[in-house]
Parts: sequence; structure tokens; C-alpha cells
Amino acid sequence: MARITRRAALAAVATTTLPHFALAQADQRPSLTIAVQKVSNSNTLETPREQSNVGYRLSGLYAEPLINTDWIGDLSARPGLATAWRRIDDRTVEFDLREGVRFHDGTLMTAEDVAFSFGERLFGTGPEREAGRASVLAGSVGKEPPAEVVAVARRSVPGLQGIEIVRPGVVRYVAATPDVTIEGRLQQNVGVVHSRAAFAAAENWLAWARRPVGTGPYRIAELRPDVSLTLESHDAYWGGRPPLRRIRFVEVPEVSGRVNGLFSGEFDFACDIPPDQVAVVERNARFEVLGSPINNIRIMGLDQTNPVLANPLVRRAITHAVDRRAIVDSLWSGRTAVPRGLQLENYGAMYLRDWANPRFDPAEARRLLRAANYRGEPITYRLLNNYYTNQVSNAQIVVEMWRAVGLNVQIEMRENFDQVTARTPGRGIRDWSNTSLFGDPVAGLLRSFGARTEAERNGEWTNAEFNRVSDALISSTDMAQRSALFRRLLEIIEREDPGYLVLHQAASFTAKRRDIAWRAAKGWPMDFGPNNFRLGA
Amino acid sequence: MLRFLAFRIARAALTIAMVVTFAFVVLRMSGDPAQIIMGADAPPEAVEAFRIAWGLDRPLWEQYFRYFGAILSGDLGRSMRDGRDAIVLVAERIPATLALTVPALLIKVGIGVPAGIYAALHRNSLADRVVMVVAVAGFTVPSFVLGLILVLVFAVQLGWLPSGGQESWRHAILPIITLGVGGAAVLARFTRSAMLEVLGQPFIRTASAKGVPWRMVVTNHALPNAAIPTVTIIGFMVGSLIAGAVVVESVFSWPGVGRLLVVAVSNRDLAVVQCILLLVACTMVCANLMVDLLYGLLDPRLRSAPRQATA
Repeated sequence: MARITRRAALAAVATTTLPHFALAQADQRPSLTIAVQKVSNSNTLETPREQSNVGYRLSGLYAEPLINTDWIGDLSARPGLATAWRRIDDRTVEFDLREGVRFHDGTLMTAEDVAFSFGERLFGTGPEREAGRASVLAGSVGKEPPAEVVAVARRSVPGLQGIEIVRPGVVRYVAATPDVTIEGRLQQNVGVVHSRAAFAAAENWLAWARRPVGTGPYRIAELRPDVSLTLESHDAYWGGRPPLRRIRFVEVPEVSGRVNGLFSGEFDFACDIPPDQVAVVERNARFEVLGSPINNIRIMGLDQTNPVLANPLVRRAITHAVDRRAIVDSLWSGRTAVPRGLQLENYGAMYLRDWANPRFDPAEARRLLRAANYRGEPITYRLLNNYYTNQVSNAQIVVEMWRAVGLNVQIEMRENFDQVTARTPGRGIRDWSNTSLFGDPVAGLLRSFGARTEAERNGEWTNAEFNRVSDALISSTDMAQRSALFRRLLEIIEREDPGYLVLHQAASFTAKRRDIAWRAAKGWPMDFGPNNFRLGA
Repeated sequence: MLRFLAFRIARAALTIAMVVTFAFVVLRMSGDPAQIIMGADAPPEAVEAFRIAWGLDRPLWEQYFRYFGAILSGDLGRSMRDGRDAIVLVAERIPATLALTVPALLIKVGIGVPAGIYAALHRNSLADRVVMVVAVAGFTVPSFVLGLILVLVFAVQLGWLPSGGQESWRHAILPIITLGVGGAAVLARFTRSAMLEVLGQPFIRTASAKGVPWRMVVTNHALPNAAIPTVTIIGFMVGSLIAGAVVVESVFSWPGVGRLLVVAVSNRDLAVVQCILLLVACTMVCANLMVDLLYGLLDPRLRSAPRQATA
């Protein structure tokens, strides 16, 4: 019979309790509370269901793609869960997977997880795979992804033929047709890598989507729909131990609530700060506001089917009558930028440095209106109540600029986008924005305009030549040819047959404690990784 | 009394049916839930699949009768946004809302009624004028303005209380005060008016002339007669317990039924909106029913009125 000695008992107690105690003592990392307008639009955290600024902000904290984006730097690609990648041919890219990456459940990431993340997770496996299933109704009763997940996946990685596992640690992304944008597409958060085993263990798709298991620096501890999201440090994170023990995102719908909570010390950060509140926050020496232009461009859509706007001369006049710089200076205190057309500098070789928006030229606008024989017929501008930051103020300013050249634009308030885009008499001008999820016109311009896009689907704008050129650009692998095709697209849609008017880049402002050293991203994502947080600034 | 009760219940059922119908028509006509919930950039095939799955592609009358039939069988539907039963979602939020509205109701009644009685009994005195000035101020200041002022003073400047959220009982103090002050002001005004009207009645003069002590005149004769309009207002406040804090819940980020309603309406999450409206309608109707029954208890003439009418 075994005897339990006093020494053995003490040793047993020591082995079971002391390490935990030591860990607890060592974990002096701070926790943060961050006020946001919205935690999740869909009450889930699966990236294909959270394709908006709300989801873009948080997803990088708990999930990562094969190729990361340098959000704080120049938005360029950088190694993520893949350490290197190479072109095999014009439709295949091979990836070396990072070794030793652990999911939040402690398992090691494998090539099978990558294949799962681009297969069953996005497209399902069942007989209805092609058709897609409908919304979360399906998600609550099985594992098949809802229709919108499949649809978003198809749009994000079109032509994906499959992920081939070459050998452990090496996978190939194979597209059905030549595609030079594969690397860019894999920077999107739709392509994050999740744990196949954790998905298999989830009760249903909805349960999975509320708590997906990824590799990011923080794991999901609790999602309280419409209330809060709590993330906890993933200490086994491959990039180093995260600097924060816990991050709690609290949903505070009112701007005043977020700012007051910051001032009262309840929040360390307050997101979604409108420009007119920047000075209010910074009057308090304990706080500062960070932010800059992001990878989203505010535009105004021009409806070709409107009886007045059917004449491209009127639309051209509209584009010449707006002083974009004045809007940026007055409404945004100069804290954002006017892009050179619907493109961003991170387009790399595809960026047209010599391109310019139609210049602000009231005389030219008046000349074009005379040429169009425009006689003051009313043009309707359907407007939402500040869905976009400064939307109503911007509308009032722009309408006055148009009035100054003789355009009779009348604002009609609407409650939602469905009412704005409804095919009813009077649809004319509307607000819109365009996000480039990676650096290529395919991610920006051609996401909204061209064949089978929203503009065409809504019957707002289409152009046969534009569609032909855009198809050629999508399938071309010759960068010089692609650049020339992109230029032609901009000529058509911004000068000859305007489909929109570029206003400015959107900007995201975050208020925070001044004693925290932290850098804001040039996009929606918030980075609280090992290299972007320090107390005592 | 049974006839009186049956008439009131039938009227209540009709009111609820009308609310359900109105909510259905307004929500269906003011936006496509599929497009709103799935977002402006959703691919058309996904939007269409969503419509089919939720029966939004069916004729409106068919959707209505299906919905109404489901309600009669006790099925209030699922949230299109969340995937769970609407009633579960709403039921989750009710305790949070009641945690604000019940204490606020106690404040309203506990402060408003005594203040109104005191002001009426001391008509044209300094106390009366002070009570009425405060009441008018409380009545006219919108709850979101009062809420923000309270936050600025007690959360930002003094740092005594949190500015929003639902983590502890301290988080409930400012929203309860915000809700309670406005209601107390309303009750004070109504109670004062009702008391003044009753105090001017001949039977009060008669009771006083008979030598009944003034305290007894007030408690036995004036207060019961002045109670009817006051009970009406309190009944309305009881009916608002479930969804009477929409603005305050938004200002204080309080995750109750009101905030759920705002989110559900903006997303056209029909089942949730209709579930809340149904609940509110039922609460309001029940409160009105109770008020009607209280009328009968408070004033015997109302109990006998239907009988006289049919005689």
C-alpha cells in the first residue's frame, strides 16, 4: 500500500499550484476597454459575414490570412501565415506555411487547415454547395455556410479551383483561369485560416461563426450580441506574446457616449470619432485622436437612367462643379486626402500617378450644361442621414456648389439603401463608397462597376466598352497592358460617361489615452499585436 | 361586471390584431429586409436565396396570413439577422429593461403623486410654484438631453458614476433617474390638476361644512376622486415598462428591449420588431384593462353605466 508522506504531499501541492501562481504573478499586462459604435453587424465573427468596416476592424485580432497587409505602413503585402510564396504559373501560387503556428485551441496549423479554410468553410460540402444556403436559418441547423457566405467567397476568390497540398507545410492556390491578383485576393480577411478540428467540433455553423478559432494574437472569449466582445491574449501566438491580457470592445452607439466614457476613464479608446469631435477630444490634454485616410474612397453615384442625367454632358458638368479640396478642408479639417480618381497609391504598378479628377471648373460646368441644353430640370439626390461620416453636411455643400453653376439638385431623405437604390422615378444621385481590399483596380473600381456588379445590377450605370475592357483587365497577366486598360476604364467612367464623382478618401479617427503608445492603421483594422502597444508614452 | 370585462377583453384583442397588422404592413412596405440585412454589396443570388428562404418572395397577403396564423399558433418567428427565435432574443432583453423601468416607475409615482398633491393643497404658494417650475422643466427637457447632462456632471466631471453600460447596479442609476424625472414631472402636473378640480367640487365644500376634519376630507373624499386621471397616466406608464426606454437605452448603451428594437427596425428584422410590438401592445392593453377595472373599483358609477345603457 502506498504511503503519502508529508514531503510528497507538499511536493504535489507545489507542482499543481506554484506554476499557476507564478504565471498569474508574471502576467502584469494591462487590459483595455474600447468603445465602438458596433461590435458585429451580423452577430457573428466569421469574416465572410462581416464584410464591412465593423468586421474589418476586429478580424485581424483573432484571425489571419496567408498574406498579411502592412496596415500601419504602406499597405503592402507581408508574410502572414505563409512565410513565402511564389508563382508556379499564371493561375497557381505556391505558399510555404509558417511552422509552429498554433490555433487558439492549442492545435498546430497544417496544410489541411488551409485547404479547409478555402473549401468547406467558405463553400460547404453538401448537395446544396452550388446553390448556397440561405442566411443564418441554415447556419442554425447544420454546418453548411449560409448563402451570403458562399456568395461573398465567390466574389472574393473567383475562379478558385482548389487548394492543393503539395507536401506538409506547402500548399498551392490554383485558379481556374489566369489571375494576377491571387496574392492580393489572399490578403482579404475572407481568406483567413481557421481550425478544421474546431469547426468539426462546433454544434452548428452559427455556433462556429460566433466563436471561430483562428491564429490571431487574441482569442475570442465572449461575444455578447449588440453589447460587447471580449478577446483574451493568445499567449502561444507565433508573432510573440501579445502586449495585452484582455481587450474588451463595448458597443456604444452614440458618439457622445463614447467620448464621455473616454473622458470619465471607463474607456481607453473610443472609435468612430467624427471629425467635428476631434477638437473636442483634444482640448483635454489627457487624450489625442489618431487617424488618417484609409483604403476607402467616398464617391457619389450618378444614375444613367435618370432622364436628366441620361445626358453625359450633365454628368460631366456635375463632376466639374465640385471643389473637393474645399470639402476636405472644411468638413475634415484637412485630415483626409483627395485621391487621383478611384484608385489608391498601394495599387503599385497599376497606380496611375498622372491621373487626375475632373478639375474644379465652374465655367466648364456651365459650358457643358449649355451644351446639354439643360434648363434647370430637377435632379433628385437621395440621401441617408449620416450613414457615411459628414454625409448630410457634405450633401448640403455639394448641392450649393451645383446650384452655383445652375444645376437644380433636390435632396430627398431616405432611411436605408434599399430606398435609395429603389428603381422608382426620380432616382438620380446617391452617396456611395468604394473599399480596395487589396491593391488593384479589380478590388476597387471593378468591385462596384462593370458587368455583373452592383451598379449594373441596380440599373444605375453600364457601358458596353467599359465591360469589355474590364473583362480584358481581369483576365490579363501583362502588367503594362493591364495598366493601359485601367487608364481606359477611368477615361470612360470618370470623363466620357461619368458613373460617379470622386469626393475624397474616407478617414477613420480613433480617440485614445495619450499615455498609450499606439499607431493607427491606414485602414479599418486595429492592431494590438506585439509591436504596436506600449504604456507610458 | 362580466359584460364590462368581456367588452374590454374583446376590444383589447382587436387592438392587438390592429397593431400586428399595422406593423406588418409598415415594415414590409418600407424596405427589403433581404437587401438591408445582407448589405448593399451583397451578390444578387445571395439576396434572392435569402428572400426565398424567408418567404419574402411570396405575395404580401400570403405572407400576412402565414404570419398571423403562426402568431395564433404561438410561433412568433425567427430573427433573420441572428437566427434565433425572436421571442428568445426579446425575452433575453426584458430583465435589463425592467431593471430600469420598474425603479423609474417607482420614482415617478413616489415623487410625482405626492408632489402634485402637495402643490394642489398649497395652491399659489411658493411651494406650489417651485413644484410646478420643476415639473415643467422636467416635463419639457427631452430625456436624451437630461441624460447627457447627468453624464457630463456625474460621470465626466465628478466621476461618481459610469457613463453607460450594464456591468453593475451603479450603471443603472443615471438611466433610472433620467427616466424617472420626466415621468415624475408629468404625474405631478396631472395629480395637481386632478386634485384642484376635485377640491373645487360641491361635495368637498359640503364635507368641510359638515365639520369633517380637512385631513379626512382630503384622504377620504378628494384623493379617491382625483385618482382616476392619475391612475390613467400611471396605467400608461405601466404599459410603457417594456419599450418605454428606447432613447435612454441608446444614450446609456443599455442592452434592453429598446435598443434591440432600434437595431431590429434599422435591419428590418421583422420577426423581432413584430415580437416587441406585440409584447408592447399586450402590455399596454393589459395595463389599460387593469386601469378600466380600477375605474370600476374607484367609481361605482362606471360599473353600473353599461347596465343602465342597456336597460
